[in-house]
Amino acid sequence: MNNRTWMSRSLAGTAVMMLGLTLAGCGGGGGDASSRPENELHLAVYGDASNKVEQAMVDKFNETSDVKIVLDTIPGADYQTKLQTIIDTDSAPDIFFNWGGGSIANFVKADLLMPLDDFIEEDPQLKDAFLPSVFETAVIDDKSYGIPMRGTQPVMLFNNSEVLKQAGIDAPPATWDELLEAVEKLKAAGVTPIALGGADQWPTQMWFQYVFDRVAGEDLFQSALDGDTEVWDSEESREALGKLRELIDAGAFGTNFDSVKFTDGGSPTLLSSGRAGFELMGSWAYATHLDANPEFAENVLGYSEFPAIEGGEGDPDNLAGNTNNFYSVHKDTRYPEEAGEFLKLMYSDEFVQEQIAIGNLPTTTNTEEFLGEASNPEYAKYQFDLVKEAPHFQLSWDQAYPPEATVTIHTAVAQFFSGQIDEDGFIKAMQSL
Amino acid sequence: MTTLATRRQAAPGGSTPSRPARSGASSVGRPGFAWALPATIFFALFALVPLAAVAVLSFTSWSGLGDPEFVGLENWETLVSDPVMVKSLWLSLLFIVLGVVTQTPLSILLGVWAAGNQRNRAVLSAIYFIPLLLSSAAISVLWRALLDPNFGIPGQLSWLFGDGNLLGTQSGAIGVLIFVGMWQFTPFHTLIYQGAAKGIPNVLYQAASIDGAGMVRQFFSITLPQLRNTAITSIILMVVGGLTTFETVLILTNGGPGTDTTITAFYMYQEAFQSFDFGVGSAIALVLVVVATLISLVVVKVSGYDKMNSSLEGL
Repeated sequence: MNNRTWMSRSLAGTAVMMLGLTLAGCGGGGGDASSRPENELHLAVYGDASNKVEQAMVDKFNETSDVKIVLDTIPGADYQTKLQTIIDTDSAPDIFFNWGGGSIANFVKADLLMPLDDFIEEDPQLKDAFLPSVFETAVIDDKSYGIPMRGTQPVMLFNNSEVLKQAGIDAPPATWDELLEAVEKLKAAGVTPIALGGADQWPTQMWFQYVFDRVAGEDLFQSALDGDTEVWDSEESREALGKLRELIDAGAFGTNFDSVKFTDGGSPTLLSSGRAGFELMGSWAYATHLDANPEFAENVLGYSEFPAIEGGEGDPDNLAGNTNNFYSVHKDTRYPEEAGEFLKLMYSDEFVQEQIAIGNLPTTTNTEEFLGEASNPEYAKYQFDLVKEAPHFQLSWDQAYPPEATVTIHTAVAQFFSGQIDEDGFIKAMQSL
Repeated sequence: MTTLATRRQAAPGGSTPSRPARSGASSVGRPGFAWALPATIFFALFALVPLAAVAVLSFTSWSGLGDPEFVGLENWETLVSDPVMVKSLWLSLLFIVLGVVTQTPLSILLGVWAAGNQRNRAVLSAIYFIPLLLSSAAISVLWRALLDPNFGIPGQLSWLFGDGNLLGTQSGAIGVLIFVGMWQFTPFHTLIYQGAAKGIPNVLYQAASIDGAGMVRQFFSITLPQLRNTAITSIILMVVGGLTTFETVLILTNGGPGTDTTITAFYMYQEAFQSFDFGVGSAIALVLVVVATLISLVVVKVSGYDKMNSSLEGL
């Protein structure tokens, strides 16, 4: 074997590896309505347990319509990648699941989505039937691009009420100072004050979302998102970072949070086994605990709003998290009228009841009537009231920014928590977005 | 690599030339161009065309929406001044070196041992080869759970692991990745060495023991030199494997803490498929091609493998 064959062989090996990269590079261009299948509407959704309800809605629609909806479920983790690859081709879905905000901003910029305002004008319920703080998430440049289609998932401060009691903490902290006080008491009791799945990175980001909102109000992040990156270097931004540093330095998260994950059950088990006092997590944490340890979820698990920060500009009732998921409509769809009709199902009583039955919390105004049917009505009611009363519901940062920013944000929050970068490093990273 | 190698050998083999000795003088000679056609087409379609496409993409800005936009050398300028890219290349190099250094001695020893005929050898070898049967993703998920600082092994052995923050420090995370790589790939290389060690003619050992050489002397003077070509094959496989390590990084560390285990192949994935910057992703892929080619060439040159000297010459 000579050098030349060796060279081509090595080239071959590495080139095959890159095949995935190029395959994704095929397509592009996109077509018009006539190149789409006749009498079919394709509906792409994130594949998971909620698909049951989506299928039921599709079946209901297909009963009376000549144009049939085909439900395409795309396995969860690959959803955004797959969507981005097909959205500008002839195989793009007519209606598709998304997270609003940054997840569709690029599509709007590339003029791929249909504004839904004409539908709303025809049937105002398409807007008025939903909670405003949620509906806003899919409004871009004053045009509506999405209709809420699953449940809301605000982030709350969960606690192990037994651990708190043993440490002498009577009530969940309502203010930042009470939180710091609780941290000291829990440390004295020999437990990790706050469980954090730092290896997943997005749980770390939740702390930034709330502290920035409480200290600086919702406008700081919105300005940054609109392109004014100077706000990251503002006094409020530095104050928020200082608060976080204070909490980290107090040992609130222990020392090994960078090796702990939420997704593999690490951090929730810390909380349920009594080795941690708190965990900041999305409302799905209840379902996670109910699945792993029903007794704990029903009797011991407590929850409260993120504490207020004294002197901060943000309203203490502001929320952060996943406002909801949305259906958006592709502008090249062959059957816009039918797509609009389908969206109206998203505020029907049947839809709300089906969602509640599988544990989701829809964000329609009629949801309240059916909360009694939830598996834990008290928890459902608590959450719904939070969302209803929230002056502002901050979409998670990594979803508010377009997907290309995710890696930068996640790396920055993780590095700040582990001490690899300081305030200046974090500000620089966020300004690079 | 493996499939390509097999195919390269199989294609000229085909049906008739596999028994050239019997078919006589009439069919002796160089095989025609047609023999190379299937392999050439396959190679062009799945290697050269994508390679060319990636090369073109590396000069564009493209998020998957609309058409790629030509931006000249912008992606390359970004890469050259990107600290994460530079760091990732060093990390890749470190992974390769550590991988070779840890896996080679172990797999040579195990392979030579497994080539013998001791009692229980077959049973124990079968157990050693189990990791070879598992997918990388399964192995990574398994070790991720085993290494949980609170509920995994480190939680039980706090005298050894301290607070168990293995994946939260750079040295810890690299150590874990190297260890898992070793656990996963040593059986494969053991298999290669076992085959090669079995092929060493017994007469060599018999002659050596007549001359009074003990086991250790025999190992260093006969076994190791005889395994030379095998070692080069194995090391090149480790180098390519190390450069393209991906699933273990994705699942075990996700490139972290921070960017401390973001090796080049993982960075390519992040840029292309998480950040949807196919231009920069393609540029990183090209860098990988060049680096892999260079390293392979260096190994081949330095080791004298290209001369293809037989280790059995004179026997």
